[in-house]
Amino acid sequence: MQSPISLDNAPPLAAPFRFFLTAPLFLVLAGLLLIVAGSEIFASRWMPATLALVHLITIGFMLQVMIGALIQVLPVVAGADLRRPLPLAWLVHAALTAGTPLLAAGFLVDSPALLRAAAVLLALGIGGFLLAAIPAVFAQASTSPTIRGLKLSLLGLAGVVALGVTLALGLAHGWLLPYPELTDLHAGWGLVAWAGVLLAAMAYVVVPMFQLTPGYPARPSWWLPPLLLALMLLWSLAVALGWPLLARLAQGALAVCGLAFAGLTLRLQAQRRRARADATSRYWLAGLLAALGALSMFAVATVWPAVTEHPAWTPLFAILLLAGAFISFIAGMLYKIVPFLTWLHLQQGMQPGLPVPNMNRLLPDQAMQRQMFAYLAALALLAGAALRPLWLARPAGAMLAVAGGWLWWNLLSAAWRYTASKRH
Amino acid sequence: MIHPKTPHVVDARYMEPPEPFVRTMEMLDTIQPGEKMLLLLFREPHPLYRVLRQNGHAFESELLPDGTFEILIER
Repeated sequence: MQSPISLDNAPPLAAPFRFFLTAPLFLVLAGLLLIVAGSEIFASRWMPATLALVHLITIGFMLQVMIGALIQVLPVVAGADLRRPLPLAWLVHAALTAGTPLLAAGFLVDSPALLRAAAVLLALGIGGFLLAAIPAVFAQASTSPTIRGLKLSLLGLAGVVALGVTLALGLAHGWLLPYPELTDLHAGWGLVAWAGVLLAAMAYVVVPMFQLTPGYPARPSWWLPPLLLALMLLWSLAVALGWPLLARLAQGALAVCGLAFAGLTLRLQAQRRRARADATSRYWLAGLLAALGALSMFAVATVWPAVTEHPAWTPLFAILLLAGAFISFIAGMLYKIVPFLTWLHLQQGMQPGLPVPNMNRLLPDQAMQRQMFAYLAALALLAGAALRPLWLARPAGAMLAVAGGWLWWNLLSAAWRYTASKRH
Repeated sequence: MIHPKTPHVVDARYMEPPEPFVRTMEMLDTIQPGEKMLLLLFREPHPLYRVLRQNGHAFESELLPDGTFEILIER
């Protein structure tokens, strides 16, 4: 019989791991920034420290992991092989890792030169990834909702980067742009067309596979990614034409789609066949509940925009969506992907007859669960800080730094155990 | 369902990787040349497709409304 899984087309472990072992450090940076800046971060979404914090999380943590994971899983979930994954990973990782702190610093010290440099680096890094990924993925027939979703999410990534680079260069050069509307669109393209569509496309595969749930029903799975992208295009058109009501209509429809997807995933999770709740299923449960909260707030705000004037509304919404939903989903997936990949590569590299350590020894469940509870404590403090920023902003920052550092430590330990097992 | 009935079925829908792969390869070893087997999964197994192609097995897959992929493989 053949060896369990062919690694012929899988990129070397170093390709995704450089992203996975960098991303949590940006959560630590985000926590430290919150400690330094304190309650002012919650005063307005336009504060320099707030813009810096949001991008440390979205680019520094989320995008790092998403691109690292895609370089690894495109051959597995879409049959799409990237031509030279290791040099590509090196280039994209270097650009993201240098570009993110430059962008945060550019916001913090209001420096046109830093903003320009960050925009160029991020555009090069993400553009390089898109140039490699788009031909590889679009060469595959859309035989599954996952492949269709992956294709559309890459277009979403192109959209969020184009808007982000425009905004950064606009700030650096003092261009007259409709900043509030473009910023909302930038966030929409990032969190819906890119992250949301990618999350759905990956969830179709990983939720049944990792949590042993039933599959996602085929028809809504086919339609969700194009529907989300069409609604983003409608929202963009509304901004271009200056029709705020149409923009609100598109936003309301997006909220309903997101609520339906989160509700369906929650139902699938309730039917899972794995009796014991592991760190991944708990992270996903927390993420789904936070997503339901954030999307309900989004839906209410489209019907009744005055509600967003409450000072806690926008920070609470952002915390639930970014820290509550996306970071939880990503951490939950990392806790399956990292032990599985290390185990798989060990199995391939081992001499016949030598035992391969089991997955639980490479990254023990107890270590993951403890880190997860630390992260949930950080999340609770962050949500509390939206309501009581003067009291809780700094404790929330400290706890976020601890939970991010702990995630980093757990992943690093798995990488070390992998290296040690390989040597024996 | 367009796929013909076959007694050789691996229902891997609630199995963790790499079990679906291992079970499929084991069953392919036991059936006769020309016979077909059916693999049921909630995803498309691209790494398996690659191995099937390398080993010259014909296969076709279909997505059912409940999210099951039926993959019919010929020995």
